[in-house]
Amino acid sequence: MIELNNATKIYRSIFGRSVKAVEDFSLQVAEGEVLGIAGPNGAGKSTLLSLLLGYLRPTSGKVLIRGLEPRAFVQKNGIGYLSELMTINPNWKAQDALTRFATLAAVAPADIPTRVNAVIDELGIGEHRDKKIKALSKGNLQRLGVAQALLRDEQVMILDEPTHGLDPVWTQRFRGIVEGLRRPGRTIIIASHNLDELQRLADRVAIIDRGRLQRLVQTGYDQATDAGGTYRISVAAGAPHLKVMFPQAIESGEGEFELAFSSIADLNSALARLIGGGVLVAGVVPSRSVLEQQFREAVGEPT
Amino acid sequence: MAANLTRYSYWQFRDFIRERGVALIITSLLLGFTVVAPMRAMMGPNIDQANATRILIMALPQIVFISAFIALNGIISTDRKLGYYRFLFSKPVSIPAYYSQYFVVSLAAFLAVFALLLGVFAIVVRPVNPVGALAFCTLVYLSLGGIAFLISSLFRYDWPILAAVFLGSAMINSLWAERDGWRMVIRNMLPPLHKLTPAMTDIMNLGTVDVKAVIWLLGYSALCFAAGLFVLWRRPIG
Repeated sequence: MIELNNATKIYRSIFGRSVKAVEDFSLQVAEGEVLGIAGPNGAGKSTLLSLLLGYLRPTSGKVLIRGLEPRAFVQKNGIGYLSELMTINPNWKAQDALTRFATLAAVAPADIPTRVNAVIDELGIGEHRDKKIKALSKGNLQRLGVAQALLRDEQVMILDEPTHGLDPVWTQRFRGIVEGLRRPGRTIIIASHNLDELQRLADRVAIIDRGRLQRLVQTGYDQATDAGGTYRISVAAGAPHLKVMFPQAIESGEGEFELAFSSIADLNSALARLIGGGVLVAGVVPSRSVLEQQFREAVGEPT
Repeated sequence: MAANLTRYSYWQFRDFIRERGVALIITSLLLGFTVVAPMRAMMGPNIDQANATRILIMALPQIVFISAFIALNGIISTDRKLGYYRFLFSKPVSIPAYYSQYFVVSLAAFLAVFALLLGVFAIVVRPVNPVGALAFCTLVYLSLGGIAFLISSLFRYDWPILAAVFLGSAMINSLWAERDGWRMVIRNMLPPLHKLTPAMTDIMNLGTVDVKAVIWLLGYSALCFAAGLFVLWRRPIG
């Protein structure tokens, strides 16, 4: 549904200097899919999103949404978009801003108050509805940004750093909201620095760096590509047994050990041995998620 | 024009009045005061219709020129500069249509402000027929508007360029008014804003207007406006 074919965007200054922000980028995103985009600062994420919104045109290559050039698609259908930069006129009131965006989004006039109230309630910004944008805290402004993206039932949603500035409670709620947005026919693209968030929300994550697609990672468990990983195992009792059974285990805290496994099956058989040997296992978490591991390999540095 | 965009004109009108209307009123009152106050002091409290029109003709050109400049600068570039386009144009909206509508809505708001100012003039000096004055305001807005629209579609910091174009063409037209040859060619290529002031007296008195001058003014501006639309259509906003 969304197709990037060798898309390249080069910025040229009037002095002849040029910077390749996106280079030879090819990717297809299916209907119903949630795609994550991760990359270090300056990797080309914002340029990529601007290409998808038609705010920029590729220097070469093609970007198509349902067979249309992005600007033509947006002009016809609109996109539920949350910008990383919350650039809304600071003198507008929160509720007025949503009413304006609902008007532009072609929500039927009679439905605008209902829709606006619904997103205000969903994002919990009722007490701020009469405040000016400039009076909103970063978190509330972010919630307003999410609210305006939800005003209409869009086929495509692009969310750039959606939980930036949200407190943990709202970060959690936001994840629930995005889960609720999943439906056949709708494509959601989420750009984030938060790999844990992408791991939870996205079906695939495109890791980009220096403008290029470095890796496309499937976030769910895939037996074919299972390469295991390092896990942190917390034990409530029987730590000495664990040390005997796995002398290579690194003690990372009181009752906490880090162990590397070659596959998920390997991890499971190790856990069975531990439990059978009288060790009381309190928790097992990956030291690094598959995505984080892939990200480090692709980009070469932690986020 | 799409229905959603047409409905949005209410908000555009409101934005103009709040963000530029107040500035227009204050600037116009200050400028108007410097012309009207000495004339009123000189003529006394009982000013007749002819003298009231004369005062208005003296005060109006500079007020309308500066007001049109305030009204038109940044008409497109402000949204680009401040990034407002990001949220606005993720909605199903044509960018050229959005700014075309804003141009028209701004004209309506501009005239509303001048109708108010003419009301103040009526109280302070004497009521005059507002048709001529408003027609002149419309002509100035439309004559400068297309040029401002094009410059704003091309440059993020458009107002210094706009000021340079307006002042530059006024200066060259006055310096080279009688010259011919290449100077005349350049003069004819510049915005024909020098034709506005002679047109004003005719319009204000509801007399015969130099149609050729008006067509030249509006045609030049319309061409620039069309070029601005082409820029918005072809050149990405980001």
